Amino acid sequence: MELDAIPQPELEQIERIGGADLVIGILGDARSADEGTALTLTREALAELSKPLRAMVVCNNGTHSPAAVAPEVPGDKQSPAIFSCSLPPPAPGETPQHGISNAYRTVFAVGGKLGVRACCLIASRSQTAAPGWIHRLIQPVLDLGFDLVAPCYTRQKMEGLLNRSVLAPLHGALYGQRLQNPMGPDFGLSGKLLQRILVQDSPRRRGAERSLLASIASAAACDGFQVCESQLGVRQQSPTDWDNLSSLLAEILGAAFLEMEGRAAHWQSIRGSQTLPRLGQPEVPSPENPTPVDVKGMLQSFRLGAQNLQDVWGLILPPTSLLELRRLSRLTDDQFRLPDQLWVRIIYDFALAHRLQTISRDHLLRSLTPLYLGWIASYALEMQAAGLTEVDSRIGLLSKAYEDNKSYLVSRWRWPDRFNP
Amino acid sequence: MWDQVGQALRLSMTKMLSQLASLLPGIVALLTALVISVAFAWALAAILRRSLKRFDFDRRVAHWGFPAMAEWSPASSPTLLLTRAIAWIIVFMGFLIGISAFDGALPSQFVIRLFAYLPDLMTAIVVFVAGSIVARFLARSVLIGAVNMNLQYARLLSVGVKWLVTVLAVTIALERLGIGGGIIRLAFGILFGGIVLALALAVGLGSKELVSRSLERETSKASGSNVKEPVGHL
Repeated sequence: MELDAIPQPELEQIERIGGADLVIGILGDARSADEGTALTLTREALAELSKPLRAMVVCNNGTHSPAAVAPEVPGDKQSPAIFSCSLPPPAPGETPQHGISNAYRTVFAVGGKLGVRACCLIASRSQTAAPGWIHRLIQPVLDLGFDLVAPCYTRQKMEGLLNRSVLAPLHGALYGQRLQNPMGPDFGLSGKLLQRILVQDSPRRRGAERSLLASIASAAACDGFQVCESQLGVRQQSPTDWDNLSSLLAEILGAAFLEMEGRAAHWQSIRGSQTLPRLGQPEVPSPENPTPVDVKGMLQSFRLGAQNLQDVWGLILPPTSLLELRRLSRLTDDQFRLPDQLWVRIIYDFALAHRLQTISRDHLLRSLTPLYLGWIASYALEMQAAGLTEVDSRIGLLSKAYEDNKSYLVSRWRWPDRFNP
Repeated sequence: MWDQVGQALRLSMTKMLSQLASLLPGIVALLTALVISVAFAWALAAILRRSLKRFDFDRRVAHWGFPAMAEWSPASSPTLLLTRAIAWIIVFMGFLIGISAFDGALPSQFVIRLFAYLPDLMTAIVVFVAGSIVARFLARSVLIGAVNMNLQYARLLSVGVKWLVTVLAVTIALERLGIGGGIIRLAFGILFGGIVLALALAVGLGSKELVSRSLERETSKASGSNVKEPVGHL
């Protein structure tokens, strides 16, 4: 259990409390996840539930101060009881994704210690996280018997691109469950699933690099837990740091590929995918942002990669893909389209090379950046005049390409040397 | 007089034959050592070749970042190169053992000096191999990083770093072997300086693009701070 992160006075407080119904982690950035906001959000969310519950709030405010305990009126069974504790500030040099993963571990450990029935994790910036989010993530667990409630956000067509291009369709093809955001970061979990993850995530069983962020949805899918999605509305996105895009890719895709490797025995037998129940009403998106996307810069990066990274890609991709990429790099901006099949096979080949450690994993994942930018450029050019419905059907086609090419992945995964087209 | 000439010839013949006879055991020992070492080298090379083929050594060498090794290997196979190199080293060792069997001060001194040189040779080989591995790793890091930063001089930077580390490793190895002395140091200084200058130019020219791009980004941020970034990844 990762309770070491919690200061001693707060640990003693958890011991004193003994048990609770809910654990809620408000893990947005330290400035916004202050204890006052967290407690207000929780109080409002619990007021909407049919029964009064005891909840422990863990927030990521980094103050490291002794917990402020909301007074519990003795004998008052009608109002909810809320306790809180805070996480210490992140270690220097800790990446945001790693920080969230560690914070998840602590929340799960607190939940496991208190024997909770449900757990809610809010890792988006808490300015955007409405009180409704906690309710929408917890209520399906408590009232409808779901084990995992994954988030479904209202997005513009150029938002959530890594999710649209890789994470969601890859999760669907591998584990047979179509989720908009398999890596959350906002989740609702049942106590049963939380206990299962705690067992699977014990330091003895998990590798040093394995991220909890990537293993929640796959654990639920592989172990037969009930999964649904909940409409949460608009999520405020962090501005893109283009200079560190390769670090983001390395971190997120590295976690997804590691998870894929750990669960290979399970996903190889799955074919097709199913749509999951989506609860709540989707929010109407605000008008499209008129700022045009800089496709030129992305295509320049793609061409530079195609010109200079052939030696590196040659160790990862089969000759047919390399040939196709070389052909694409000679097209004009308007003609440029990255075919779905090629993109899907690139992702599958990178996942395989990650498993085989063909080259250093960090080099491998970072060398994907120009290809990812090429995909974004192709998608932006194709969808520049499209509405959200057309975008959804386009992503549906991409998901189908992932599923159709799964036999290619399975063959290469089983016989990497023999099956090399 | 003819008797004396005949006696002198007989004496010299006897002397030469006895000297030849004294050399014979050494020659036989040398030939035996050579035959044994060749047989041992052949057997070891066969075992090693089979093991390396099972290990898929040729492909792995290319994956470890030494694709060029296949080019200067016999039949484009690093496995063959390695096994042949080891076989010839064993034959050479056998030859040295055979030479030392001669009863003479010169061969023994030669062998002793050669064996004393071996640790330096091994150190030089290790330094060279480690230097090559580090050079390739750093070159790949720089290449990928520079491409991701959109630098047009990515390849030049990467090649520069690779040669910088390789030249350093070769110089240390040669210094260890005691070859070249002052000339090597001088050549290293010139080469190293040249590469650093080339890299500085490349970085300078590349940074120009980088700085202008980041300035453009800052300006666009400042002029439209209320405009939301159109692209999000997660």
